[in-house]
Amino acid sequence: MTASPKYLLYIAMLVALVLAPLGQGNYIVYVLCSWLIFSVAAMGLNLTLGYAGQVSLAQAAFMGIGAYITALMTMAGYHWLLAMPFAILSCFGIGLILGYPALRVQHHFLAFVTLAFNTLVFLVLRNEEWLTGGSFGLVPIPRPDFFGFSTFKQVPFYYFALVCFLLAAGAMAWIVRSPWGRAFKALRENPIRANSLGLNTRLMTLLAFAIGSGFAGLAGAMMAPLVQFIEPGSFTLIHSLKILLMVVVGGSGFYYGPFLGAAIVVLLPELLRFTEGYYLIIYAAFVLVLMVFSPNGLIGLWQKLMDRFRTQQVERSDLKDGAQL
Amino acid sequence: MLRKILLAAGVAALSMSSAVSAQTVRIADVAELSGAGAAAGSVWHDGVVMGYDEVNAAGGILGQQVELQAYDSQTDPQNSRAMVQKAIDEGTYILMGTVYSSSTIVNMLVAQQNGMPQFTGSESPTITAQGNPYIFRTAFGAQKGLPKIGSYLADDLDVSKIAVVWANTEFGKGGYNAFLNVAEANGIEIVADIPTEQAQVDFAADVSQVASSGAEAVFVYLTEEESARFLLEADKQGLDMPLAGDTVLVSQKVIDLAGEAANGAFGHVGLSANAPIPAIAEVSARFEARFGYAPDHNALKGYIGAWTVKYVTEMVGELDREAFAETMHGLCLDAATYPGVLMDVCWDESGEISRASFLVEVVDGGQVITRTLPAN
Repeated sequence: MTASPKYLLYIAMLVALVLAPLGQGNYIVYVLCSWLIFSVAAMGLNLTLGYAGQVSLAQAAFMGIGAYITALMTMAGYHWLLAMPFAILSCFGIGLILGYPALRVQHHFLAFVTLAFNTLVFLVLRNEEWLTGGSFGLVPIPRPDFFGFSTFKQVPFYYFALVCFLLAAGAMAWIVRSPWGRAFKALRENPIRANSLGLNTRLMTLLAFAIGSGFAGLAGAMMAPLVQFIEPGSFTLIHSLKILLMVVVGGSGFYYGPFLGAAIVVLLPELLRFTEGYYLIIYAAFVLVLMVFSPNGLIGLWQKLMDRFRTQQVERSDLKDGAQL
Repeated sequence: MLRKILLAAGVAALSMSSAVSAQTVRIADVAELSGAGAAAGSVWHDGVVMGYDEVNAAGGILGQQVELQAYDSQTDPQNSRAMVQKAIDEGTYILMGTVYSSSTIVNMLVAQQNGMPQFTGSESPTITAQGNPYIFRTAFGAQKGLPKIGSYLADDLDVSKIAVVWANTEFGKGGYNAFLNVAEANGIEIVADIPTEQAQVDFAADVSQVASSGAEAVFVYLTEEESARFLLEADKQGLDMPLAGDTVLVSQKVIDLAGEAANGAFGHVGLSANAPIPAIAEVSARFEARFGYAPDHNALKGYIGAWTVKYVTEMVGELDREAFAETMHGLCLDAATYPGVLMDVCWDESGEISRASFLVEVVDGGQVITRTLPAN
């Protein structure tokens, strides 16, 4: 794609995002807000899983930490703009602390460590009632005001979430195109070669994990004022698996994968609701079929299809023997 | 010519559809139709469906037929909030549901922000303690029911030491806190305090902890599936002590799931399909004939909620949500004049309900009423 159509496409996407809530009911706007928030969380996991190749099952736990910090601070009278960076930095810091010993193990072993961490966070949120409200959760969490712009109603909240989403997406685009992003990819493709080229693989993996956790912290900071109520049950392992599903269905390792995956996971059940009792079955069957035929998710499937239609370079047959010599 | 015919047909179709919609009252039921709460939510929903079908057969509300729309909360509080928002967007007049307290505590905020009266099946004490003027119970909260079982344990069974097995959720924690007060008031010592997880499947360790605690009885405060699993495990380990509960433990759903293991369990219930009240027996028979299973308290809650919407709207005389909520506060409906409520019932200023209730025991796979307790 040449530069100008590419920028035209970006502008079209931005216009679509700005126009999306107009004329819609509160429910659709709420679902769109959920999509933006889960896209941010999935973006973070995509960095850990898709770029650095590490399986984390604690994304919902980090989201929970971000949400509780934001809720406690905003309910105590601090502005969201102060609570949000605190939530992100806390998640980043906890990601570093957890990642340092945990990343001694990798892949499915890391998945087990993060799974245990998710359970631990759930138990702390539930049992430390003096701080977190325990099973009763925290309610009512205020929605922020910005210089007279109130996000109390659904459409203004959508634009607030959209700004957060665009900033997060911009930061992610910068990260994956920076030397760090290339280092993350090198790590995923061949860690031994990356190490031999002078990359500190341990540090890079740790950073990918901590940055991914920071994105979850931001998603949590957005989630708390959206729902205006949080309780430990909203940040359990099943929610981490849901975010993992978003990354995998969209296409892990692709920049746009998490956005598409979050859209599928959040919006598809809504689109299938007309099937009444069958919608969860159809939804599950769709995910199964997709994973069987395209493990790289929807973007991987799209690339496969495009490769079929694209003109391909054919190897010269008279050079075949020569190449074997 | 063809265009004219099509245009005329289109106009006719539009006017017909608007005429139909003008004759219907849209009511939403947001319930746990899937997920961990489906055992309770689907029964509640069937009760709501039957209630509104009978309301429609009796001429509807203010002469308009009710169009009931179901929404599945998937037993997820955040999803229940989204579904309530959707129901409001789609123009519901009144909101029915949810049953799980952890969902109701979230979605009642949205209903309140939109001035939407809501009939819930939740029994957690916190629901009516929020000062929300739009929430109305269909069965009383645990804080009203538990003192009755507390005095029964202390005075009739002479229990002085008890084990408490409770669900560590919004629902369970509310009941647990209420029971602690009741135990203290009745001089009952808690010798084993056992919190459990939602959707827990193995109760072997919990039952053996109860057995070795020196308790003279055990109080079980779990949701439907977990209650049944606890009873099965208690039966398997031969736990020899009275098994007491509040509403859920002795509900028909739990009896169906636990089978013979439920025999001997007793508890206090706000509503029972086996209550010695002819109206309840008739409704239960119709329910069983229609859905193929015996109703429990959740079905009756949904049914009563549906009829209450009709009665109160007709008192108000128009579809006015504010006036509806105002009328509900301090309202009493007697079953002789308003047969759909099945038993005399009152709502206070917080939306809490007051009604007679029952002590029941499970005998041969069914509830047997041992005592009828007056409204408190």
